[in-house]
Amino acid sequence: MATIESIQNAYIDYVLTEGIQPKSVYIFAKQNEMTEAEFYQFFGSFEAVEQNIWADFATKTLTEIRAQEVWAQYAAREKALSFFYGFFELLKGSRSFAVYTINKQPKGFSTPRVFEKLKDIYENFADEILKEGIESAELSDRKFFSKRYKDALWIQFVFVLNFWINDNSTGFEKTDEAIEKGVNVTFDLFQRSPIDNLFEYGKFLVKNGAIKDKIRF
Amino acid sequence: MEDKKKVATPVGGDDLEGVQKEQNSIPTTKAQRSAKFITTGVKIGGNYIKHYSKKLFNPDMDKSELNEDNAADIYQSLSELKGSALKVAQMLSMDKNLLPQAYVDKFTQSQYNAPPLSGPLIVQTFRKHFGKNPDQIFDKFNIRSNNAASIGQVHQAELNGKKLAIKIQYPGVGDSISSDLKLIKPFAFRMLGMSEKELDIYMREVEERLLEETDYELEVRRSIEFSTACAGLNHVVFPEYYPELSSKRIITMDWLEGKHLREFLATNPSQELRNQIGQALWDFYNFQQHELRAVHADPHPGNFLITPEGNLGVIDFGCIKEMPEDFYYPFFSLTSTNLLDNKVETIKAFRHLEMILPDDSPAQIEFFYGQYKEMIELFAMPYINDHFDFSEASFFDKLYKFGERFSKLPEFKQARGVKHFIYINRTNFGLYNILHELKAEVKTDTYKPHVVLEY
Repeated sequence: MATIESIQNAYIDYVLTEGIQPKSVYIFAKQNEMTEAEFYQFFGSFEAVEQNIWADFATKTLTEIRAQEVWAQYAAREKALSFFYGFFELLKGSRSFAVYTINKQPKGFSTPRVFEKLKDIYENFADEILKEGIESAELSDRKFFSKRYKDALWIQFVFVLNFWINDNSTGFEKTDEAIEKGVNVTFDLFQRSPIDNLFEYGKFLVKNGAIKDKIRF
Repeated sequence: MEDKKKVATPVGGDDLEGVQKEQNSIPTTKAQRSAKFITTGVKIGGNYIKHYSKKLFNPDMDKSELNEDNAADIYQSLSELKGSALKVAQMLSMDKNLLPQAYVDKFTQSQYNAPPLSGPLIVQTFRKHFGKNPDQIFDKFNIRSNNAASIGQVHQAELNGKKLAIKIQYPGVGDSISSDLKLIKPFAFRMLGMSEKELDIYMREVEERLLEETDYELEVRRSIEFSTACAGLNHVVFPEYYPELSSKRIITMDWLEGKHLREFLATNPSQELRNQIGQALWDFYNFQQHELRAVHADPHPGNFLITPEGNLGVIDFGCIKEMPEDFYYPFFSLTSTNLLDNKVETIKAFRHLEMILPDDSPAQIEFFYGQYKEMIELFAMPYINDHFDFSEASFFDKLYKFGERFSKLPEFKQARGVKHFIYINRTNFGLYNILHELKAEVKTDTYKPHVVLEY
């Protein structure tokens, strides 16, 4: 009897051995001794299978890192770091599949459809830790911008994913460095920084009408 | 722009310290570090332009001001850079022998300066190497680091009621060492006035040692080897190491309680206690050099702890220098007066050590013989009698004065001496320095050099 997992595994096995997607659901189902209907019970298309595999990576990572004893002690920054490390550690086990999917995505700025479900889960998680961070004043609550924080984190994620694909250092140590440095920089930007003070100062000057009068000496 | 400022503050080579600009931030990424080097390069270029434009008006001007300007800028740039680049500078200058104390003080502060590892990265490192989280391995694990080690950080943990120290390495240190060395090369040539080929031998030696330091598995093996071999020494203690809880990036050892040298000295210890620690240090180093022929080559005060019982705790075996016979015998035989009084044999030893080179003229041989003999005599002073008082400031003044004179002699622009000198000099002068700080009086005949009187 087919299950979500068995279909996913069979699919991964197929694309990695053949290098391409099965020609049709019919062929794929037949090879794996199920009916086409059984396949459609779980997935609408091959793309849906891939979407689900990626989403599973994120869900598994979250379950795993949340179970760690130190989780409760972590600030938002560390929770984000923890997700990155956990995710790429898990992905190591399916690197070939990851390389296969990523390399067949067209280059562009929009999120490829296979990552849509993963992105949803990721953004929910990002939202949650960012809210926590803002509440605890770890992160700075900026008008307009704080809503965009999670986009910055997603860009970071896509960047690291691409970095990892091209990383050939032993044990993917370079990826660890990329995560450590990249996520820290991103969170440094989320924190209260001189830019905020500069902005406040500008606001003050504008409010007090100082700029127009004083600037002309 | 920068150069104009420089013109306003011409700098003498000797009082660089006085004009040291305050260092607000350490450039950490490679890009930043390259940028640092580039600005220095630009400044040096500027110094040349300044020099030649001045020379247009004053043809008699010599190059000394230019050299001073360059030295100041290079030094400025080096001291803002921490990490392996600085370490190399430190060691190369040690080889050029005994810089003025101001430099030495600055240089010995060098440490690999990296931001602390985040908690998740520590967890990740454990998962990668042991497949488990630290809290699954230890009963207690403090995710916040207690101390920075030179290329990693130290955490406290507990297992079966035992307090442990866990050293975790920063990722990418190895790469950063190699790239730092590449960055520093052109500046080292200029700073030391050596040719690329000459310098290369030394650079490779340094790179080899530094890269060894990043191999924690090797460090654990050596730590166990050395602590077993040195177990018989009085008042020297070692933590126990746990290879099964160590890996390429993690070292687990017992937590040693104790004070660092500075803190220890601040408690105003008795002369007797200071002598005891000094003796332990002396025995530890000389036993290794003369009996094991391999030595803990990093006598940085941070690598030692003084325990409440008055013992010397040795906590870092990252840097080990092995001495081949063809270096050991010629070099240490020179510490015996019997040999040093015999000019023919001494010159033979100098030739072995490449301090005198095959195509030196008789006049050069005479000159280098004189200089090096003086150096060795100073170096060997503690060995001459059966004890030596390291509190004697006059000995160190002589050393520094000699070093200063030595480094200014034009004859020493060319690199001399086999590569092993870099680490052996650093070790022994480092040891002398610590003993001086301790103001210890030490029995120096406990482990004596093995001497060959003839070749």
